[in-house]
Amino acid sequence: MYIPVVFMGGQYNHLIVRALKELGVESRLITPNMKVAALKEIDGLIVGGGPHSVNDGMDKFGSAPQIIEGAGFPILGICLSHQLIGKLLGGNVVKGRKPEYGKTVIQVIEPDDILQGVGKEFVAWASHNDEVRKDGGRFSVLARSIYCEVEALKGNGRPIYGVQFHIEVSDTPKGKTILKNFINLCRG
Amino acid sequence: MPRIKSLEGIAISASDSENSFDFNPASFVKEKVAEIRGVVGNARAAIATSGGVDSTACAALAHRALGKGLVCFFMDTGFMRQGEVEEVKKLLMPLGLPLKILTVKDIFLRELEGKVEAESKRLAFRDTFYSILGEAAKKEGCEVLIQGTIAPDWIESSGGIKTQHNVLEQLGVDTFNKFGFRLLEPLLDLYKDQVRILARYLGVKVDASERQPFPGPGLLVRCIGPISEEKVEVLRSATSVVEERLKVTRPAPKQYLAAVIEDERSPSKKAVEQAAAQILPNAKVEYLRWRATGVKGDNRVYGKIAIVTGEERGPSELFGLPEKIIHKDKEIVRVVYAVDGGRSVKEGKFVIIVRAVETRDFMTAKPSPIPLKVLKQIAEKVKKDKRVSLVCYDLTSKPPATVEFE
Repeated sequence: MYIPVVFMGGQYNHLIVRALKELGVESRLITPNMKVAALKEIDGLIVGGGPHSVNDGMDKFGSAPQIIEGAGFPILGICLSHQLIGKLLGGNVVKGRKPEYGKTVIQVIEPDDILQGVGKEFVAWASHNDEVRKDGGRFSVLARSIYCEVEALKGNGRPIYGVQFHIEVSDTPKGKTILKNFINLCRG
Repeated sequence: MPRIKSLEGIAISASDSENSFDFNPASFVKEKVAEIRGVVGNARAAIATSGGVDSTACAALAHRALGKGLVCFFMDTGFMRQGEVEEVKKLLMPLGLPLKILTVKDIFLRELEGKVEAESKRLAFRDTFYSILGEAAKKEGCEVLIQGTIAPDWIESSGGIKTQHNVLEQLGVDTFNKFGFRLLEPLLDLYKDQVRILARYLGVKVDASERQPFPGPGLLVRCIGPISEEKVEVLRSATSVVEERLKVTRPAPKQYLAAVIEDERSPSKKAVEQAAAQILPNAKVEYLRWRATGVKGDNRVYGKIAIVTGEERGPSELFGLPEKIIHKDKEIVRVVYAVDGGRSVKEGKFVIIVRAVETRDFMTAKPSPIPLKVLKQIAEKVKKDKRVSLVCYDLTSKPPATVEFE
């Protein structure tokens, strides 16, 4: 089982690798500038968070947009990459009116998918200035919070997911459950 | 702001020697001892230790690899805690590490006095530190400098959160041309909890390896705004009070510290006070004059510190305040609550901020629920120094604040 993590410049990207290894999955950080062909042997892909905004142009994200649009394997985007997925799937990304930094409470809308087993509500840590709006995007909204309407999303007809909060930090206790669900999805 | 040259470079450095999650100190030591011997060869190497867990574990590791070929320096920068030099000696003696102490307070004070902005202070500290160290190492015939940089240091620096004093190569600094040494950083892929396991394995005394993390630039990064000898002195004694009291508080917070800032305040917006009043009725919210470092959405920010005064409450009842207030003024990165109902000492000119957090790996952190009673005891003792007008408790998590202040 091999799930690499695309390093998008965020502080927690390294922690995603650490969490995957803790769950017995082989992982490493890879650059967003890799060739798409290099991803043949993987079971799934996680794309990390980072300091940029998707509204400032896509040039900073290397091959990530191309991979997200065309991949045949499961993908999970976190924070910035959740926004990237939301935008590529036709939603909008806007500045949050009440941005979340630190603790937030996630309200689950769709409990049977990647958010299986986390309960109706759970505490998570987030840190984002931008947020996704559905606006006719080709995805369903799996969770929300009182400040942010798209906390988790799933692409229509494809195993492509985004979470606005950080499942990889220790202050998101249910993060491991979500990661396990994603790993199970990658097992196919 | 210094940034890594390319994302590619960092991705490769992070993956090549990636540790398995089940950290095994024995095999780590074996691998790194061989690596250090390979790099240093028959030359001599220097290490600068601050007495913190990272540099002490790294010194013990390097000593195992090089024996007498290692020269260990301790730099008394003037930003050390009370009794730090003695503590460091006590810590290193049982490891058989001979220590050379460089007393260089005056140089640091001269280079830093009058500097205000966090990043410019960090850069001045870094350049002064390595210039002195490079010279001292050269005198001892050392060509290699070993240092205990760990993962969060370079992750935060390369993400532009803040310039860590000990991160050089990841930022593209050519150490050989600039400071006259080659750099070796054997702990680069470890997190704090793994370093502690390593420290214990190498025989670093448990009480020592459980010591409060203390950053290399020391009290400097807890002096918010301009640096002066007096301000550092006030902070040093407040730090002793805070550490002594919180050390015996149960459950013990993971990290606790004090910071100092001038008691110069300006009023906040009406909307901010109204938001605060939802949690603390009749709260008064003001801004302190100098800004502190924070992190919002993976970006470093240099934001306002809001000081909240009002009725006496246990801090844990007020942990919702930062969110409410920051939603009304996005420039705020930190919210502190005045202990003692905000009763201040008239002639005082400094505010002491007490910070205590719960964290696994320092990548995220939340404020500790220290009982009000304990904070009041601290405040009473700290305010015996009449230069302190007020004692506050930091209510902010990381993000949006950081654990340290600058």
